[in-house]
Amino acid sequence: MALLRGELGKTLGTRTFYAFLFGGAGFSLLNAVLVAEASGTLRVASQKAEALTTLPVLLMVWGLVGAAGEHRHRTAAPAALVAGRGRATVLLARLAAYAVTGFGLGAVMIGAALALGLPLLRDQPGPDLDVAQIRTVVLANLAACVLSAIMGAAIGALIRNQIVGVVVLLVFNFAVLPLISGAREGLANLTPFGASSILSGMTHDTTLSITAAGAVFAAWTTIVAGGALTSERRRDLA
Amino acid sequence: MTHRHTPVLVADGLTKRYGRVTAVADLSFTVRSGAVTGFFGPNGAGKTTALKMLVGLARPTAGRAFVNGTPVDSMIPDARVVGVYIEPCGAHPGRSGRAHLRTLATLAGLPRARVDEVLTIVGLDEAAGRRVGTYSMGMRQRLGLAAALLGDPQILVLDEPVNGLDPRGIAWLRTLLREQAALGRTVLLSSHVLSEAARTVDDVVVVDQGRVVHQGPLSDLEDRGESLELAYLNLTGGN
Repeated sequence: MALLRGELGKTLGTRTFYAFLFGGAGFSLLNAVLVAEASGTLRVASQKAEALTTLPVLLMVWGLVGAAGEHRHRTAAPAALVAGRGRATVLLARLAAYAVTGFGLGAVMIGAALALGLPLLRDQPGPDLDVAQIRTVVLANLAACVLSAIMGAAIGALIRNQIVGVVVLLVFNFAVLPLISGAREGLANLTPFGASSILSGMTHDTTLSITAAGAVFAAWTTIVAGGALTSERRRDLA
Repeated sequence: MTHRHTPVLVADGLTKRYGRVTAVADLSFTVRSGAVTGFFGPNGAGKTTALKMLVGLARPTAGRAFVNGTPVDSMIPDARVVGVYIEPCGAHPGRSGRAHLRTLATLAGLPRARVDEVLTIVGLDEAAGRRVGTYSMGMRQRLGLAAALLGDPQILVLDEPVNGLDPRGIAWLRTLLREQAALGRTVLLSSHVLSEAARTVDDVVVVDQGRVVHQGPLSDLEDRGESLELAYLNLTGGN
């Protein structure tokens, strides 16, 4: 717990966290307005739920920037030198800290989306989202945010460079993913970005359920986090 | 005083290669307790890399390092055993000095009160609430030293601790390090400020091009009529 508290203190003690907090909430509000007011008539639940989605990739960037920033600012070495635990355990605590902040940021984002989106959606035709549907949206988005923050932090720990890491994310999202999508329909859903999009409700796809998308994304997160933990034991700290 | 000859830090054939570049080549030396050992060498001689291998931050390509007889690669770092300062100070510029040290204290399982103690020791108590990004080089240096002292460790490994310190800071550091040695603790420091180091160290290790070219007590040099600076220049091919 001391390691988790220490790592949480680091993540919450910078202005970066607040930038992502307000940026994430701002995105959720904007998305709610755009989807509920400016994207035409929304008749079915999945279309309406899109107004309540968060932006998991933002949480991935948050984790990446934070964890890679440990190497940019050379804060990783002092932490490893005092923690009284192995480096992999320290990184595990860091990933857990990003999971906690991912949950918190996700809760703020989904809260903002609900606060603005639900009243706006009442103007749309067809039945309103019921409690079970809203609960599914909330839980799925929280899961997407938590997993995204962990995956981002793991990628950051692997790449150790904020700019390179963000560029890799952008290239994957905007160049590789469309290629995969074009190569075979539905294949992109099995990538981390594709699965997180379905999980958060930004993408509607009948080939993969929300639960299956969550499982795919969790599997990718576990693989990347496992790679980061393994590599942390072997690599030098600056 | 039997502890005076106990090797606390041991570098045994340490080698570090980065691709084709050999930063440290077959480096072997020992550091005893109850003394301040100076670790000297030209820029690029491999001092910082060697110190990183000694404390476990860098993995040797070959050779091993030992702390209190335990191989570093199988040792769990502990702030109470080894305090390390290797530039830069390792604090996020957006956080305050106090917040940085509190985080380290939390990670190390140390009481918060210790943070205020070390801030006072290094003379940073008044600036502790300021963002590290606003600190001068000397203040960052003091913050790094505060982090090294946090666990009140038995061993101090300090890389260029004098850099950026004003004359009062240098005198303070000299006193602190001599006090640590007098308590039977172990201090290993690298420095380019040889005139100051000559007033601080008991033992001398000189490296050049990644290899140890001299190890021994400072008094041996003095007995030969050589100053530390002259010996250093002779050993490292300078003039």
